[in-house]
Amino acid sequence: MIDAPLTTRDIARPLRARLLTRPLVFYLSPIAIIALIPLLPFVNNYIIAAMVRALIFIALGQAWNIVAGIGGQLSLGHGVFLGLGCYTTGILFNKFGVPPWIGGFAGTLISLAVALVMGSMTLRMRGVFFALATVAVSLALVQLSRHFVDLTGGADGLALKFVGTSLWAMQSRSPTPFLYAGLAFVVAYYWTTRWLLASRFGLEMRAVRDDEVAAAAAGVAAFRTKLTGFLLSAALTSVAAVLYIQYYMAIDPEAAFGLSQAIQLQLPALLGGLGTALGPVIGGALMIFLSEITNWGSTKIGVEGLDILAYGLMLLVVILRAPKGLIGLIVRDAARGATK
Amino acid sequence: MAGTEAVALLALQAILSGILVGGVYGILSVGLSLAFGVMRIVNFAHGELVMYGMYAGVVASKNLSIEPLLILPVSFALMALIGAAQYQIVFRHFVGQATLQQLLAAIGCALVLQMIAQLIFGADARTASSNFTGKYVVLGPFFFSQAQIVACIVAVVATLAVSLLLQLTAWGKAVRAVADDLEAAEVVGVNSQAINITAFALSTGLAGLAGTVLVTYFPTSPSVGFSLMPIIIIATTIGGLGSIGGTFLGGIFCGVIQQVTAMMWNSALQDVPLYLLLLLFIALRPTGFFGLRSE
Repeated sequence: MIDAPLTTRDIARPLRARLLTRPLVFYLSPIAIIALIPLLPFVNNYIIAAMVRALIFIALGQAWNIVAGIGGQLSLGHGVFLGLGCYTTGILFNKFGVPPWIGGFAGTLISLAVALVMGSMTLRMRGVFFALATVAVSLALVQLSRHFVDLTGGADGLALKFVGTSLWAMQSRSPTPFLYAGLAFVVAYYWTTRWLLASRFGLEMRAVRDDEVAAAAAGVAAFRTKLTGFLLSAALTSVAAVLYIQYYMAIDPEAAFGLSQAIQLQLPALLGGLGTALGPVIGGALMIFLSEITNWGSTKIGVEGLDILAYGLMLLVVILRAPKGLIGLIVRDAARGATK
Repeated sequence: MAGTEAVALLALQAILSGILVGGVYGILSVGLSLAFGVMRIVNFAHGELVMYGMYAGVVASKNLSIEPLLILPVSFALMALIGAAQYQIVFRHFVGQATLQQLLAAIGCALVLQMIAQLIFGADARTASSNFTGKYVVLGPFFFSQAQIVACIVAVVATLAVSLLLQLTAWGKAVRAVADDLEAAEVVGVNSQAINITAFALSTGLAGLAGTVLVTYFPTSPSVGFSLMPIIIIATTIGGLGSIGGTFLGGIFCGVIQQVTAMMWNSALQDVPLYLLLLLFIALRPTGFFGLRSE
């Protein structure tokens, strides 16, 4: 399931042949295994809930991977789009009874508008300024969402009104429906990434990432490519935000726009392998597994924050010792789509 | 008539307080700007070293009952050492390239340093008291915090000292040569690794010093580094990444805008105009007022 290398010969092959590089069963069996887990006798809601959390952060990591891994633009404030999606969906539901099916759509539109403004202002500059701008916007939103208490619930955050299990309101007492929804997201985003890596647009994104001047000389519209990649990533983040708010049933300024949340959006792709389709899947699962263990350890020894310490150490070790992520460790010269 | 006069007085008070607060923002940011100017390293963990400098002040004042301002050289030296270690372990690999990997490595450092502080000092906010804490100077219609005045004086002196160090000493000349062209500097016999590690240590040492000054009027907590980073980044970008004097003025500019917003409009939203300014600067003038030319 490692991404196929993209060569001139490959470009000549039809897209379908480039995407399905292995027998279909190879792609379907992991999905089937995850889908059947809730039926196992020893699996309780605790395990399912952990899996849902993993799937949510995998999906968010897959979305971030598009702008950062494939596009090479370091968005440090991707929480902006998670937060806008969550708050829009939540506010529309609580105040006006608008179902998340429509609220999520509205949230995505708002995210796209914000991404368009941010991107047009900063993506012409060197990468570091884009990174700084994304930090600035997310922190401005932390302050704004704390301030407008009537709309957002202020620093305490916003709790979704619970109406009982309902498909219309996307609510459920049991976590199992969210497992299937999360699985659908991860599969859809996986194939979006695969398609992107195999498509001409993804090739252009990677060309801009690896050498912007050379890409521009070869006729790639660098700014437009960066902006489109950023918009796509922002939209996918905002759509996945619907799953986030419906599952957690609450959002607050730090969980939405805070820097620690932004780091949790980045870790799946970083740990697994930047710029690869499978990377965020492996990395996201590992991240949640790690956070479960450290949370358990934290309560055991009564010390807070072990998970963040583990995240930071993992981040350093991966960047210094395995810049291609776990995928790069497992398969030598895997991840030819990965960041250099 | 009286109304406009009161508004004018309030505005003047806001501007003067802003200059005092801004001077400290300046010294908080100068180190970051230096590391960028010399090595093109954007150290997102800069705020964490400020935080350790703040805890040094807390330990001095609460545990050892010493005036925190007396330990400024100690906290400078300690943070310089931590910075040198940080450079040797992490940033050595990223000199000359403010890439995605470098920024992420810095964030990794920040998380680790933050959590170590939390393990040592606990998650609660802590304060330090110096002889100037909580005392005010009244000058006609205006009043100023003594701690802020002292902090601003220290900031000005430290920034001047760094500028003179860079301009007048042989070491400063070598730093500027490495910043200008690393290979050419090595050709004429400058040991660029030695220059980089000392410049980085100076940058984090300044962060520590700034933290110890700051804690005399501002409480610290393990997450204070993250909350200071935005203002540091904004001061640096507006003043000009890589320019010491420019960054210091950028800090004062930020302080003034922040205080005027807080006193005349809304203190809960005091930083929002700054974030907008940062976006405008990035879009229109990414080199800031005095920064290095963008490559």
